[in-house]
Amino acid sequence: MPREIEFFGVFFPGVLPVFLVSMLLQGLLDHALSHLGAYRHSWHPALARLCLFIGIFSTLLITLYQ
Amino acid sequence: MHPPPAAAPQQHQPAAAGGWIWLLEQSRLWLHSDGQRWAFVARTLLASYCALWLAFRLGLDAPYTALATSVILALPHSGMVLEKAFHRFLGTLVGCAAALLLVALLPQSPVLLFAGLALWVGLCTSGAAMQRNQQSYSFVLAGYTACMIAVPALDAPAQVFTLAVTRVTEVGVGILCAAVIHDVVFPRRHAHNVLRTAQSRYNSFIHFCTQVLEQRLTPAETELTHLKFAADIAALESGRAAAFFEAGDGRARTRQLHAFNAAFMTVLTTFHTLHRLIHRLHGAAPQHAQVVLALVQPLHAHLALAMADTLSAPRLQAMRSALAQDIGAARYQLQQLATQRPIARAQQIDFDTTVELLERYVRDLADFSTIYHALTQDGGQQASDPGTYAPKTPGGIVLASGARAATTVLLAATAWYWLAWPQFGNAIVIATIFCALASSSPRPTALIRQVLIGFMLAAPLAFITEFFMLVHADDFATLVLASLPVLGLGAYLLSGQRWAGVGIGICMFCATLLVPGNLMHYDVEGFINSEVALILGVLLAYLMFAVVLPEHTMGQRDHVAGALWREARRTCSAPLLHLKRRYDNRVRDLLSQLNAAAGPAPDSAVRAIVRQALTLLELGHAIIALRQFLAHAPDSTACTALQQLLLQLARYLRTPDADQAAAALQATLDTGTAVRAQLAHAGAAQQRALQATLPELHAIYTTLQDQLSTGALRHAA
Repeated sequence: MPREIEFFGVFFPGVLPVFLVSMLLQGLLDHALSHLGAYRHSWHPALARLCLFIGIFSTLLITLYQ
Repeated sequence: MHPPPAAAPQQHQPAAAGGWIWLLEQSRLWLHSDGQRWAFVARTLLASYCALWLAFRLGLDAPYTALATSVILALPHSGMVLEKAFHRFLGTLVGCAAALLLVALLPQSPVLLFAGLALWVGLCTSGAAMQRNQQSYSFVLAGYTACMIAVPALDAPAQVFTLAVTRVTEVGVGILCAAVIHDVVFPRRHAHNVLRTAQSRYNSFIHFCTQVLEQRLTPAETELTHLKFAADIAALESGRAAAFFEAGDGRARTRQLHAFNAAFMTVLTTFHTLHRLIHRLHGAAPQHAQVVLALVQPLHAHLALAMADTLSAPRLQAMRSALAQDIGAARYQLQQLATQRPIARAQQIDFDTTVELLERYVRDLADFSTIYHALTQDGGQQASDPGTYAPKTPGGIVLASGARAATTVLLAATAWYWLAWPQFGNAIVIATIFCALASSSPRPTALIRQVLIGFMLAAPLAFITEFFMLVHADDFATLVLASLPVLGLGAYLLSGQRWAGVGIGICMFCATLLVPGNLMHYDVEGFINSEVALILGVLLAYLMFAVVLPEHTMGQRDHVAGALWREARRTCSAPLLHLKRRYDNRVRDLLSQLNAAAGPAPDSAVRAIVRQALTLLELGHAIIALRQFLAHAPDSTACTALQQLLLQLARYLRTPDADQAAAALQATLDTGTAVRAQLAHAGAAQQRALQATLPELHAIYTTLQDQLSTGALRHAA
């Protein structure tokens, strides 16, 4: 993965697309989990959701930037 | 004399325990009242400084945008913050794209550029007036973000793309910080609130029905209750939209809440029709009404009694069968009476209609109550989604808010040009922001006045903070310490209901002006110049609302009354698909706007419009039901009569005067005769369908009669 992506003369960090993709993935997972009612078993649903996101994002980063 | 040593701790123990209990009780109370406010202030400040730190760390060009974004997103419930964050991001993207397009098309001609900008802001503000809640905010933001990008780009068109990218990045950083902090750190979840609202609404509706059936409410109280219910429907819808973004089962509940609102509107309309029938019977001549009332009153009493208990599924079943028995008994009594002395046709019609409406009401109530119980129980059965809520704003108000915002941009730009005052560029943006934001408020001048007060208060405070405290700050921690007091004051005011506008003013002002840039420079003259320009910007927005079309504000009653008639007219011609739900939604939405504008004590003029709205609602529902019948019925003389009636009703709704009403009344009577004639020799299936049109015809007849007798026609626009 490139460290920076050029877009009309502006350099974006290469992490940005990964971030967006993991947001998308997390959105899908979140949708499925809330339909299954999985959040009902969690103490702090919002924190659980944030941790899921961090997990997805980190996994993608580690695999892509090895 | 000394007390025995063993007794002393025993005496002190209860006192100490009592003290602890008192302290615990007090802290619990504090946690639930003022503690919540301070938690909100803490969340807001934490989010703001996180955003600021991140913006510094990433070396962004204007870190204050991130700070301002996280302050603007500060709302009490986490769902609201997430919803606003989402829509803010969308609005920023669209606004930046529009600015890029405008500057790319007209880089060398500022006059045309400002004309285009004014048009865009006008369009966006009109769009905002047509939407509710945060969708509306999205439109507002698309408008003024374009302004924010295009105004500085006038001198340097080549920089516009960088400006836009920076803006999106900074807003993104602010959004991320605000969303994460408000959602995770001691969040207040909105989903609980929504459920509690639904519960209290269900209870108050059952209470209302019982009271009406026992005849313990005056017409004025009934109208006010209907107005409040309309506001509740809109509030529940906005709560649902916010809870959708929270983690948990808010998303799964969306469908159920839609179904809940729709079932509530249906049962409310049916009950209103029933209520008006009872009310009219009580007011009618005794020799006519007494017979019918004597027959139906026991039915009402039984219903009221049955509704006092929890309406579980078996109880509802029992209630329906009891009603069927009661109706059978009443019919038998009527037949017995008919053998003694003849029953007038009008009496027979009144009796039949009451019975039909009672059956319909119990059926709708059963639906409503089933959906409610599924909603309150975890993992209850899924309801079918009847579709989204359809809001409606009177057209005049939509156009006026767009025109006002566009005029503001043009005026501010002209002033900027003639004054040749560089800092006034900020004033254009501020005036546009508040012109657009206040458009969706029922009392825009009051809102802007509060913001103006906030700006005035913040001006000296910001000056002191900047030149006596921030100058001594040499790292991030001291910067936080220096700006904490004034931002904290703003956030605290923001958390209350009464002074929220002042809080917004203080926060916005400080976030824009304290400008802890990457390379700090202190310029007293420039600072005061900017302060004056910002205050002038708000003042301009205030003047625009006071001078340009001051009567065209949300929920202004003449506009609402006109829009109600137009909606009723639409029921005669619009496509039938989803028409009933949309009509229900739109009328209720107009009523909730009326409620917001009327304040806590609506006067008699407002009540007259509510009465009118309820009558039109009944009429519209009858028209839609007849059209639905006609869509499936085979051709016959009754159908021709019904079509004639619908044409006449459309004419009446277009020009609601006494002549048209009389003609419509006559057409209703003729249709009734034709339907009854056909009923005598029709097949069983067709008989049931024809029978169902009779209460609708009766509803049309009585609403027209009411319109004629009360002289409500003059409210028509």
